Amino acid sequence: MDQLRIVVGFKVTPDYEALRPADWARAGDDAADGPEASPGGRPGGPETRFVRRILGVFDEAALELALRLRDARAERGLQTSLAAFSVAGRVADSFLKTLLALGYERAARVEAGAALDFAPGATAALVAGGAQRLGGDVLLLGSRCGPGDSGVVPFLVAEALGRPCLTQVTEIAPADRGRLRVTFTADAGPVRAIVSTPCVLAVGNAVVSMLRVPTLKDRLATREQPVVAFSAADLGVDVTEELDREPAALVGLETIDRGRAGVIVGGATPADKARALYETHLRARLERL
Amino acid sequence: MSLSREAIVEGLRRIVGPDAVVTDERVLVESSVDNFRKLQNIFDVHTMPVPAAVALPGDAAQVAELLRFASDNGVAVIPRTGGTATEGGLESAVPDSVIIDGSMMNKIISVDPYNMQATCQCGVPLQALEDRVREHGLTTGHSPQSKPVAHMGGLVATRSIGQFSTLYGGIEDMVVGLEAVFPGGEIARIKNVPRRAAGPDIRHVVIGNEGALCFISEVTVKLFPYFPENNTFLGWTLKDMATGFAVLREVMVNGYKPSVARVYDPGDAGLHFSHFAAEDDCVLLFMAEGAAGIAKATADGIQAIVDKHPECTQVPSEYIETWFNDLCWDASKITAEDERIRQTRNVNRTTEISADWGSINDIYQTAKARIIAEIPDVTMMGGHSSHSYINGTNMYFNYFFNVVGVGPEEETEKYYLPIIGIICEETLRRGGSIVHHHGMGKARAPWVKDEYGSSYYILETLKKSFDPDGIMNPGTIIPL
Repeated sequence: MDQLRIVVGFKVTPDYEALRPADWARAGDDAADGPEASPGGRPGGPETRFVRRILGVFDEAALELALRLRDARAERGLQTSLAAFSVAGRVADSFLKTLLALGYERAARVEAGAALDFAPGATAALVAGGAQRLGGDVLLLGSRCGPGDSGVVPFLVAEALGRPCLTQVTEIAPADRGRLRVTFTADAGPVRAIVSTPCVLAVGNAVVSMLRVPTLKDRLATREQPVVAFSAADLGVDVTEELDREPAALVGLETIDRGRAGVIVGGATPADKARALYETHLRARLERL
Repeated sequence: MSLSREAIVEGLRRIVGPDAVVTDERVLVESSVDNFRKLQNIFDVHTMPVPAAVALPGDAAQVAELLRFASDNGVAVIPRTGGTATEGGLESAVPDSVIIDGSMMNKIISVDPYNMQATCQCGVPLQALEDRVREHGLTTGHSPQSKPVAHMGGLVATRSIGQFSTLYGGIEDMVVGLEAVFPGGEIARIKNVPRRAAGPDIRHVVIGNEGALCFISEVTVKLFPYFPENNTFLGWTLKDMATGFAVLREVMVNGYKPSVARVYDPGDAGLHFSHFAAEDDCVLLFMAEGAAGIAKATADGIQAIVDKHPECTQVPSEYIETWFNDLCWDASKITAEDERIRQTRNVNRTTEISADWGSINDIYQTAKARIIAEIPDVTMMGGHSSHSYINGTNMYFNYFFNVVGVGPEEETEKYYLPIIGIICEETLRRGGSIVHHHGMGKARAPWVKDEYGSSYYILETLKKSFDPDGIMNPGTIIPL
């Protein structure tokens, strides 16, 4: 296949590590009445309005792997087109514009019109709809993203699209006859497979995990390229219906205290501290081994 | 005749004992640079002369002996504590130098809540001192981003400033007394008093000397009551930096002392505030703190000033508070940044300057435009003002570039130094200072004569007087 069309679906997520402790326990409140409003008033999980958005770790890897696959194919004289989309509101625009500057030809967002935390079925329906709208031979997704993610979205998307799905993908390279050499992690360790398209690849703990950065000149050159917005209705998805079908709903959150008891080992010098550590805390345990 | 490396090491061992002299090659190589050459560190490519040893003295007397040994034998020394320098001040510029590392001098000597001062040795991490004084309901008021990792000696040596400087001042406003060891082994102690008019204030010979004159062995700093419950956060978006500078000026001129007063340009704001600021928005923010009445009056006064600028759109305070609570570095953030650089070769650098209110916007606009036009592969060029005074403010240029077509060892020559050069030129042209709070190090030393003008005579005389053999951190502040 001379031309390969790659579509990457990625998630823009709140930076949960920056969340204030008090903002974790907001389930049951209408916590999504901010920029990413939830018209349905469905409990939206923690209060995340006040932290910045970041790319999901595995989604970022998927976006970079797609660029590297394009580059590797180009070295063989093969053409590749790239498209990216996110199920999100305008908060995704800055990420989508970055992708346009990096050489993605098309960028789109799918507006759900509702909070989708803890709603893998509805999310998958929208991702599948977006992927179908953008077309493509390969759909790349992140395996999972952040707290509360079920990890089942790629499977549900593949099922909806009727495509085979490989998960925990860590490397993608061109193979012959338009196929792909895909490395993924199985229980026994890394496995390499030759994969035909169309397919869904869910990226896991890849060594290449960070997205390259476009220059200001790249950004300027693609400034006028549009980000396309689809509504759920455009994709034929009834989000309310999908949410009603979700088998589980978030009813509450509580903070788990993961604090561990500790002591500060004292001593005037590192040698004193090491000695105290050994004598007081390690020696008896080691002797029991 | 210069000593061999072996003889240097032997001499050091006689002074501080064999366990306090490090000659491990990996440690020495890493000790040849600081964060100025962070790309080289990340890729493990080292080009600077490797020091002969790292010596870890236990007290000022040992420091004195080390400096006497260095003076007698013409051995260059580089004073160091936490090692968080960013401007090349800890680089070994000459072969067979010795790092005098004060991190083992880490005792908090006293916390005096009545006289509101604390004394500690140079190797006490600021975070440790802050944690200790918090037990008394007090704070040092000093909070640079490096607080978890920087040590008191180095902070004083580089004229550090913290995020709350508009209220508490820079480190030079906090140090009431100190002890320093000079070449030849003279130990000088400046007593702790509220003020003095007994001639020149010689604290300022020591504060900011960057190890080029002496080794700071002990410092005493002021303490302040700590009222976190009164912290009040305020934030606005706006469309241009000129308005932001104007608001900062009004706040300062009207005598308000918010602990934090900042304006971010769109590029820099995009790194922190893209969840509420548009792509072309600047962000103006403040934190008022202190006793309840003071915090409220400060916040109310700032609110009234910004309300007179309809082009500023207020945002919920939680945005600012959440950002603020996640601001300091820690080891995991540093590790994550290093990994991002390793994978993407996209490097973040900063350069901070200061100038009066009449010049700061010109410097910002001109330097930014020149860097975008003249430097290749720039991916973000922005900055913020974060430390304001009645007569002016600082500009903290924050920029990223991709390292393309050169190895890590050439990054400074191709990108970093040319950018620093543009910023220094535009700052000096308008009468500003080329260094606001990172120190001159070796990176900006080439501009020292332009920075000082006719007062360079004073600096040069200090150097010649206190360090006649030129052993103290050669190349720092004054170039080789």
